[in-house]
Amino acid sequence: MSRLRQDWLRIITIAAGLVLAGFIVAVLLLVVSHPSPEAILESVTSEEIRFAISLSLVTSVISTIICILISVPSAYALARYSFPGKSFVTMVLDLPLALPPLVAGVGLLLFFGTTAIGHALAEIGLVFVFTPLGIVVAQVFVNFPFMLRIMRSTFESISPRYEYVAQTLGCTNFQTFRRVTLPMSANGFLAGSIITWAKGIGEFGAALLLAGATREYTETLPISLFLNMSCGKLELAISAATILIVISVVSLYIFEKFGGSARL
Amino acid sequence: MLKIENVSKDLGEFRLENVSLEVQDGEYLVIIGPTGAGKTILLETVAGIYPPDSGKVFLNETEITGLPAWERNITMVYQDYMLFPHLNVEENIGFGLKNRKLDKEEIAGKVREVAEIFGIGHLLHRYPDTLSGGEQQRAAISRAIVLEPEVLLLDEPLSALDGQTRERLRTELKKLHSHFGTTIIHITHNFEEVFSLADRVAVMNQGRIIQVGGPDEVYRKPESEFVADFVGVGNLFRGTCQVGGAGSVVDVDGHTIVTAECADNGEVSVTIRPEDILISVLPLDSSARNTFRGRITGITDNGTIVRLSVDAGLQFIVALTRQGWTELALSSGDQVCLTFKASSVHVF
Repeated sequence: MSRLRQDWLRIITIAAGLVLAGFIVAVLLLVVSHPSPEAILESVTSEEIRFAISLSLVTSVISTIICILISVPSAYALARYSFPGKSFVTMVLDLPLALPPLVAGVGLLLFFGTTAIGHALAEIGLVFVFTPLGIVVAQVFVNFPFMLRIMRSTFESISPRYEYVAQTLGCTNFQTFRRVTLPMSANGFLAGSIITWAKGIGEFGAALLLAGATREYTETLPISLFLNMSCGKLELAISAATILIVISVVSLYIFEKFGGSARL
Repeated sequence: MLKIENVSKDLGEFRLENVSLEVQDGEYLVIIGPTGAGKTILLETVAGIYPPDSGKVFLNETEITGLPAWERNITMVYQDYMLFPHLNVEENIGFGLKNRKLDKEEIAGKVREVAEIFGIGHLLHRYPDTLSGGEQQRAAISRAIVLEPEVLLLDEPLSALDGQTRERLRTELKKLHSHFGTTIIHITHNFEEVFSLADRVAVMNQGRIIQVGGPDEVYRKPESEFVADFVGVGNLFRGTCQVGGAGSVVDVDGHTIVTAECADNGEVSVTIRPEDILISVLPLDSSARNTFRGRITGITDNGTIVRLSVDAGLQFIVALTRQGWTELALSSGDQVCLTFKASSVHVF
């Protein structure tokens, strides 16, 4: 046997990758195949899971839109302009990504539950503590860094000379953004929105602390998984898990397909 | 008329230092200089992409230093085209017209007209990534010229193209200039473009403009060693000048070169263009005042021009046509005579 053929580095590293991939597939298959397909179907159509699906969809879509509205302008500023404190702002805006969601949840709970701003918002009817509104806020707080980072890398990948040319052709900088920068960022925008939305659907920790886990009131899919698992309703728990798996796989696929130059 | 007055701009990596320049209406000005000379910043400052740190820019006697790019009507073309990838050629060319609130048919008409002039009329519905480099650059120039700008800025428009396309597009630029009469500032590092296009040329180095003049003047009479080196004069010597009655004499390491134009005695640089030197086997009987004997030490042949290195005590570079070279039937190591006129010797 020639020693040149026997490349142990190659064999060991590839084996590590294969074992890891195999383990993930096994775990996911185990979840999906645990109950019978009929039981899953029945659970999915149950009133509780239907509530969880629709609450998850509504909150995640709203939170994704809010993430887009705050992340796109900040991402553009970070990609194009230099300003005092930029590196500090950049770090702080990424912080929720590294923060445990439970910690974010505690912070949000204190902010909306104990501060004057929280009370003032509650006065005008915006109650975030233990309400579905809290789910949206928790999702936004934890997930906007995904949108922000993807949009920033997308904007950075577009040569500012496109914008210069547009300006010499008579576009103000707002028009330039609308007619050139944004359309050229379409793929990154789509990829970022999808990943933000998928993360929003799966958000648990921060939402649990701020919005609580009230059955059929603040019960999103992950909360449903948690509640039903706690009280032994395995079918309901697993049907919620299955839906979450499907959403993850599909959104990852879309992200990979359209992500292009966008990096997390 | 475009007037740049003492403009400075520091972008860290690149900078402009106290640049002043005037461009007449309808003039074709070429700016030449090495990479990093600050040529692109100069164009972008004229275009209004960013304000200068100091200095002023005037367009037709009106100061435009603080005017945003979109109100200047000065358009710009980059080396790498910068066509908007999400728009087809027609939408790219019509991009600026759309800002002028013209109706759709008027835009379509103007776009078609310009595209026809550039021979890309059949490509209007194609997207930029399906076009060749030459086609993309034609589209980019069309997009800039269709607005009938006060000044058209071209940043190395031909540098990314292959030889043949470059030559064709160069001819088209010339036609375009006479057709539209647009004032053009064109950046390059290629001297051929200077000769075929420029009414005047400005040489830039390290953020400064170091010489402005007609192409011939700059080529034959470089005012500094940098310009001489950069325009590829080939024969550059240093010596001491003695002003005399019938002409001045420059002493270069013990060799004498006769020139017509020493201002006064002292250290000077001397240039002689390689094509101004005649080469022959026997001494020529001519009125030329400079004759050297030497030996051919090197031959480079680029197909049309043959360049010889000749060791005549001083190292000379001589250029001659291929035909002339064949007729001489010389080879490396042969003894030759070099002859050139005193008026071919430029001193600075």
